[in-house]
Amino acid sequence: MGNNETLSQVQNIFRDELDNENIVLTEETTANDIEEWDSLTHIMLVVAIEKHFKIKFTSKEILSWKNVFGMIENITSKQG
Amino acid sequence: MTINSLNFLLFFVVIYFFYNFPLREKTTAQNWLLLISSYIFYGIANWKMIPLLLCSTLIFYILGILISTSSEKKSSLFTTTGVVAGIGLLLYFKYLNFFIESFSTLFNSIGLKANWGTFNIILPLGISFFTFRLISYIIETYRGKIEPTRDFVVFANYIAFFPTIISGPIDRPNNFIPQLEKKRTFNYNLTVDGFRQILWGMFKKMVIADNLAIFINNTWSDIPNQSGSTLIITSILYSIQMYTDFSGYSDMAIGVGKILGFRITKNFNYPFFARNVAEYWRNWHISLTSWLTDYVFMPLNVKFRNLGKQGLILAIVINMVIVGLWHGANWTYGAFGLYHGLLFIPLIISGAFFKKKKLKTTKLGLPTLNDFFKILGTFTLVTIGLIIFRSENIHQLNNYISGLLNLTDFFTTTDYSKIKPIIPFILIMFIIEWRKKDSEFALSSLGREWHFSLRWIMYYMILFSIFWLSGKEQQFIYFQF
Repeated sequence: MGNNETLSQVQNIFRDELDNENIVLTEETTANDIEEWDSLTHIMLVVAIEKHFKIKFTSKEILSWKNVFGMIENITSKQG
Repeated sequence: MTINSLNFLLFFVVIYFFYNFPLREKTTAQNWLLLISSYIFYGIANWKMIPLLLCSTLIFYILGILISTSSEKKSSLFTTTGVVAGIGLLLYFKYLNFFIESFSTLFNSIGLKANWGTFNIILPLGISFFTFRLISYIIETYRGKIEPTRDFVVFANYIAFFPTIISGPIDRPNNFIPQLEKKRTFNYNLTVDGFRQILWGMFKKMVIADNLAIFINNTWSDIPNQSGSTLIITSILYSIQMYTDFSGYSDMAIGVGKILGFRITKNFNYPFFARNVAEYWRNWHISLTSWLTDYVFMPLNVKFRNLGKQGLILAIVINMVIVGLWHGANWTYGAFGLYHGLLFIPLIISGAFFKKKKLKTTKLGLPTLNDFFKILGTFTLVTIGLIIFRSENIHQLNNYISGLLNLTDFFTTTDYSKIKPIIPFILIMFIIEWRKKDSEFALSSLGREWHFSLRWIMYYMILFSIFWLSGKEQQFIYFQF
């Protein structure tokens, strides 16, 4: 699965979890760009992503993401 | 040397002169000046602690570079070493005697004889603040969020910056270090804003907090002889004193920073207008709560992520107990944290914890009735928490609460003459803060649309109130932490 396909699936997860159909993700998107994305919803997103892609992140990975790109990179590397 | 003293004014005038005239726009020289001034400022408080500050700064500076240049395994090891060293510093200076005494009491109470002596340890001023900066620096470096600075003077300034070393705000490296590295040009608007913020901070601290302090201290020193009504009024006034003292200090520190061309992180965002305890903690001592959110709550929440709401509750309760104990080595601080942690549970279960609705006002500029009662309820809960916080031990807490609930002679007359003149100023402060709650601090936008003469009359009135009414100079409450 390429980064674009992963990004689109992650975007759907964001829309579902944050209950906002208008969210558009790019690789540069950060928590500052999305009002509903804070330290609490972040964990909900992580759990949903892990469940969807059937993967498990380490704590360091989760706490080190600077933007959506970091997240996508982790997902694709774990799927590869 | 307190930030609102004449000595500080003289100290600052000298720094400001050199900073803005001979050294104008010479970043390296300015940084040296700031560093020397910061160490003089810290040394005046307790020169014996300078080697500790300097050595810990040097060690963490080297650790930062090692973390960024080593392999993943080694970098993880260096980070752990740094975190353990930072927490170790705090544990040794702040909590060692407390643990010795607590375990000694525990063993004696179960029949094991333990008569351990405590150590003669002097608590270095500001240790809770500068160790948090040190730890934050290496964690951010390890997480790859920042590149460690190679300039030792820059790093040492980040740790010891004199307006913030003793009582915060706890700036993050991501915000502060880049400001030290780039050229700072004189910014008129920022400077004027800094003066306004200092004025507002002095008003809160010197007119309100210092005047309330004497009355509150008198009540607390003689709890058994106070009526229930006096204890209730004192607890309300103590909440106001805590807010005006600490937010007043923060305003002054941020204001001094602005005059030197720095934007120090915000510490308060009108916490007494919060509609629940979660909102209150998002707006009270923000630099501490956000630090603990990032480095304690988030890792715990990540760890417990598959436990659902129970995991979240566990992470919050642990986090809040640490918030409490951060203030000092006393079980009442732990109880204060636990009390707040438990207050989060109904908010998490009901879902109110996750909602962040902006505070709306009616056409008259007042809160809606629903919001008003929520604000009042939150203030009451916070005030009860601060009784726990202020108590020196559980026995004193028990005395205070039972005295407060004692209905015999509930309304016995107390002499309020010393605080009566301050009440209008408290009301004025809250009205101004309510009207300007969207501004960074209340005075930043007050009167901006007025004719300049009116605005200056207002500034002078505030200044006169400071000279006319300022109470006996009191130590800032947060200096002891």
